Amino acid sequence: MLSIRNLHARVDDKPILKGINLEISAGEIHAIMGPNGSGKSTLSSVLAGRDEYEVTNGEVIYQNQNLLELKPEERAWAGLFLSFQYPVEIPGVKNVYLLKAAVNAVREHRGLPELKAADFLKLVREKLKIMQMSESFLHRNVNEGFSGGEKKRNEILQMQLLEPTLALLDETDSGLDVDALRIVGEGINLMRAPDRSVLLVTHYQRLLDIVKPDFVHVLIDGQIKLSGDFSLAQRLEKEGYEGIEVA
Amino acid sequence: MSGLHTLLTESERYSAKDALQKGLPSKQVESWKYLPSRTLNRTNWVSASHRESTGFALNGGRFANLPLCDGLSTSTHSSLNPSEIARLENIASAHGFSLAQDALNTDCLLLEVMKLAEVRIDLSRLANNASEAGFATLVIRVGEGARLLLIEQFEDVPRSQPNLDSLRILADVSRNGEMKHLRFQTANDHAQVFTEIAVDISENGHYNLHTIDFGAKLSRTDIEIRLSAEQASTKINGLAVTNGSQYHDTHLAVEHRVGDTQSAMTFRNMVDGKGEATFNGRVLIEKNAQRSATEQSVGNLLLSKTARVNPKPELEIYADDVTASHGCTVGSLNQNELFYLKSRGISETDARAFLQYAFAAKLVELIEDAEIRELVESRLLGELKHGELISELKESVHV
Repeated sequence: MLSIRNLHARVDDKPILKGINLEISAGEIHAIMGPNGSGKSTLSSVLAGRDEYEVTNGEVIYQNQNLLELKPEERAWAGLFLSFQYPVEIPGVKNVYLLKAAVNAVREHRGLPELKAADFLKLVREKLKIMQMSESFLHRNVNEGFSGGEKKRNEILQMQLLEPTLALLDETDSGLDVDALRIVGEGINLMRAPDRSVLLVTHYQRLLDIVKPDFVHVLIDGQIKLSGDFSLAQRLEKEGYEGIEVA
Repeated sequence: MSGLHTLLTESERYSAKDALQKGLPSKQVESWKYLPSRTLNRTNWVSASHRESTGFALNGGRFANLPLCDGLSTSTHSSLNPSEIARLENIASAHGFSLAQDALNTDCLLLEVMKLAEVRIDLSRLANNASEAGFATLVIRVGEGARLLLIEQFEDVPRSQPNLDSLRILADVSRNGEMKHLRFQTANDHAQVFTEIAVDISENGHYNLHTIDFGAKLSRTDIEIRLSAEQASTKINGLAVTNGSQYHDTHLAVEHRVGDTQSAMTFRNMVDGKGEATFNGRVLIEKNAQRSATEQSVGNLLLSKTARVNPKPELEIYADDVTASHGCTVGSLNQNELFYLKSRGISETDARAFLQYAFAAKLVELIEDAEIRELVESRLLGELKHGELISELKESVHV
């Protein structure tokens, strides 16, 4: 599904990613953990196509396409979804407009017929229920005045509507209280499917207790220093990242 | 001879001589620094002609089909009181063009809303013909506790030559009175539209203006508000969408003359193509105007490399116990917001339209009159490149 080979990237001449190698197959959940400043968010930004980052070396192949050549919207059409660490507030644009426009844009590029208003609303109400969000979120402006937890729930709501093939979840657990963490975690679990992969970027183990990853990678100073199964996350929680760096 | 010379020479009014002597203000005059005056100076203007029309209209420099309703009286220039005459003279003395506006004024209508009455007036400003210039004055008295809603709209018919429409509105809002004024300017592509609004507000009176500009080759609105007694307040919202080679100019002056007065101003300029927008917003708080409050927010969105804005907020405060805030931004579309929308599969063009709509929508939402709000919104969506997606969404998703 996704193959990252020797990926180097920098921002403002400062190298951040220094040779990342990662293979993700269909149906797998991978977690990338690492200390602050290790390059976790840069990796998800580069994969989603943010243009402040310059890729200096390496390649990313996603479903036989050169991902780095695609514009952000083309990546979304190809089934990529990024849940933002800091979801953007857009005053003046109603959440429901964004959701419907996004769903139909993605459907159009997958060769599916446009969802009519009634069908769309039925679908979105179903998903709101799963995320335990009230219908008032549809009327409100995108993320404007949402609490940290509400923003993250809104991200997962979008993921459920867009049904991506590859979901990148950047620090989706940050800023969540225990209840919101459970709702978000279960929302992600519902998306598990044999043809869908998830890359979770996180600092802590707590989300991984709910969304059990198949593989855990430790990113330190722009490189994956260690990979393992879920037990690696448990080890990190106990020993911290320092133990890894020494090793 | 060109410009307004011929008309002024023919006029027998005293102010015409002054106007000729002063001539049109030039780039050296601060408040006219940015205004492109070529068309104004070079067109051989003739007096505007009157034509058949229905409804209350400013028609070739004259008011036609005067409004008739309970609580409203209409009369002519001869009924103006000395203070109104003095204020008109004062407005005229500002510069050469205002002197010309005064000298060439062809009609002056006095509208008086009786004490405690509630009145709505719809005024349509009709397009003048090629090279025609019309000048008129509307004097409004809003009686004690009375409420007036004035809706000013523009006839939008194609014209291929310059045409000029000038209107001065002088209003007095009495104690406990309220005037709501909604301007929706959609004049033709060759129009030169000038509007001068001067309002004096008494104790506990309120003046609320929504001024929306989409049309005209050149439009200039001068707004002067005097908060003359305690608890007088004003709220002014402006949106100008400027495109092609359009020029829009707002000159605003709010004067807090006494204490416990309030003003709030929100303006948005969206400029594309080779458009240019000027905003000058001056707030003066006099020394004895303690406990006054003012807030001003001005946002400018530049959508092309050739678009220009000239914003200048000015606060002059002489009292020491006041609440004042002002903010002015100039920028292009927010890259972070664009990326967010695109990452959801929304195309670049649709994402840009979304954000432009969002920038202007805040001001559209503030319009209370539902019918006008819909009109403004549909015009806004029509002006946006690729506004179709939003139009379709608005129609389809009623939740």
